[in-house]
Amino acid sequence: MFALSPPRPSLSPELLARVRPVALAKSRTLPLGEPWRALVPDAGLRRGSTVVVEAPVGLGGLSLALSLLSEASAQGHWAAVVGVDDPGVVAMVELGLDLRRVLFVPRPRGEWAESAADLLDGVDLVLVRPPSRAGLLAARRLMDRVRERGTVLIALSEPRAPWPLPADLFFRVTQAEWVASSKLDARYLTVHVSGRGEAQRGSEHVVVVPNRRGRAEAN
Amino acid sequence: MEQLLAVWVDALALEAPDGSTLRDTLSLLDALDAMCPFSEAVRLGLFVLPLRGPSRFFGGDDAVLAMVRQCVLDVVGVAPQLGVAEGLFCAELAAHREVIVPRGASDAFRRAQPLEVLGRKDLTTTCQRLGLHSVGAFADLERARVGERFNKHALTLHRVARGELSELEGQRDPRLARRLAQLRGEEEFFDEQQGFFGQRGASDDRAEAAAHRVRRRLGADAIAVASLRGGRGPEDQGALVPWGSPESKVRDLAPWPGRLAAPSPATTLAHPAPVQLRDAANRPVVMDARGALSAEPAVVLFSSPLRREIVWHAGPWPLVERWWARHRRRAHLQLVLATGEALLMVAESSQWWLVGIYD
Repeated sequence: MFALSPPRPSLSPELLARVRPVALAKSRTLPLGEPWRALVPDAGLRRGSTVVVEAPVGLGGLSLALSLLSEASAQGHWAAVVGVDDPGVVAMVELGLDLRRVLFVPRPRGEWAESAADLLDGVDLVLVRPPSRAGLLAARRLMDRVRERGTVLIALSEPRAPWPLPADLFFRVTQAEWVASSKLDARYLTVHVSGRGEAQRGSEHVVVVPNRRGRAEAN
Repeated sequence: MEQLLAVWVDALALEAPDGSTLRDTLSLLDALDAMCPFSEAVRLGLFVLPLRGPSRFFGGDDAVLAMVRQCVLDVVGVAPQLGVAEGLFCAELAAHREVIVPRGASDAFRRAQPLEVLGRKDLTTTCQRLGLHSVGAFADLERARVGERFNKHALTLHRVARGELSELEGQRDPRLARRLAQLRGEEEFFDEQQGFFGQRGASDDRAEAAAHRVRRRLGADAIAVASLRGGRGPEDQGALVPWGSPESKVRDLAPWPGRLAAPSPATTLAHPAPVQLRDAANRPVVMDARGALSAEPAVVLFSSPLRREIVWHAGPWPLVERWWARHRRRAHLQLVLATGEALLMVAESSQWWLVGIYD
């Protein structure tokens, strides 16, 4: 089809200058740590995008979502965690988050979407775990807000209460397996990573979250 | 905790049927907002603003008090009652009593109040029969004793009395902010105050402003930061504390002798849940004085209908703490369930508690 299309007219120099991107691609993404960098397009979290992490209860969804925050947090970006009522603070330190720049709204009651929207104005990444199934309207408004503010939303959901809209980046935990010696050592998560555009088809990876130092790493 | 200036306007406390109360509240809030952008209408009749910023800007606490008094006179036409103290609970009391509580004295101020200020008649009468007349006397009761004698609600009041919570339940009207926004024509709550702090450059300032907005929406204790302290288990070492409270300064995680090795659970329960462990013959599993289990745990029972099979366990690792208190013997136990979930348990005086979930 493209072979048949007529050749493009060349653009005038002044128009070219105008359409040239004004921000470097790097500043339009937030850094991602290992092992995720190698698994997503742009090797980072694109500003304005919504990431959905879906995992059955207790199978590592929270650890995975927190590990997505860790590199940006360590590099000085502010993050917020909404709706996670009893976060494991020590686990967050082990994952590499800088707690001096993390705000928590542990019990937003019915106003999780509003709280997340408030925080999207002030921090670069917001991790939200809706207390029940997220409504379509609330989700759409939040995602619009994210796009408008150039921040990143990470929504944590369960298969039985999925995030109602397609995400820019989608992590689905399908299997979790613990490796133990005299204590719990590491958890191998089978994660299906998909997205829009080039990443639409998705691919399956086995990653270690957490490993025996509490961090995330490639298998 | 930050010093708050509470403004009590008696004339605005009861809502008039013609809607004038809400309109006046809105104009007064706007006027106060012009002086201090973090002014807040807590509920009808009560406004608060943090004192530190405006005081520095306008040259002293007295200047701010005089300006606020004048401002209320101009907008509503009556003189307000003003009070300064740390935390919303104390600040409102200070306003009713029209006192300025010096920095650091709010604790003593709160403790000296009569029990009626907690707003629970049944609690007041029961405590008075016990010879407890002040908030301080109630605060000195052991938490466990309060839990035995009163209901859950009283435990919250106890935390307020001890200064662990800075405001009473119901002290704040959660609907007021939205009603005022509606009156202003900003029904679209997502657009509330957007761009107000936009010109601030530093990301810290932006985050702080966002935190203020959440606090305004949900109440003083809704927004928290993490704090780390020493402890043996991850459930002791980390905690959330209200944002802006004195203990909200995050400390480094120093290596603690005998602490549970990484990885730590991603969820640590602030209020551990009691659970039962049973062996294959459905007998309760208990830990003896030397820290050994009576049998291999096979099943964990949460509340009665929820029962999960255990496929692996490790421990118990005794936590030798407070060796002088012999009855206090704790141990950690890790479990992996047949469903793939991993849990962290603590045994304490023959009771098992769920303290962490590796989720």
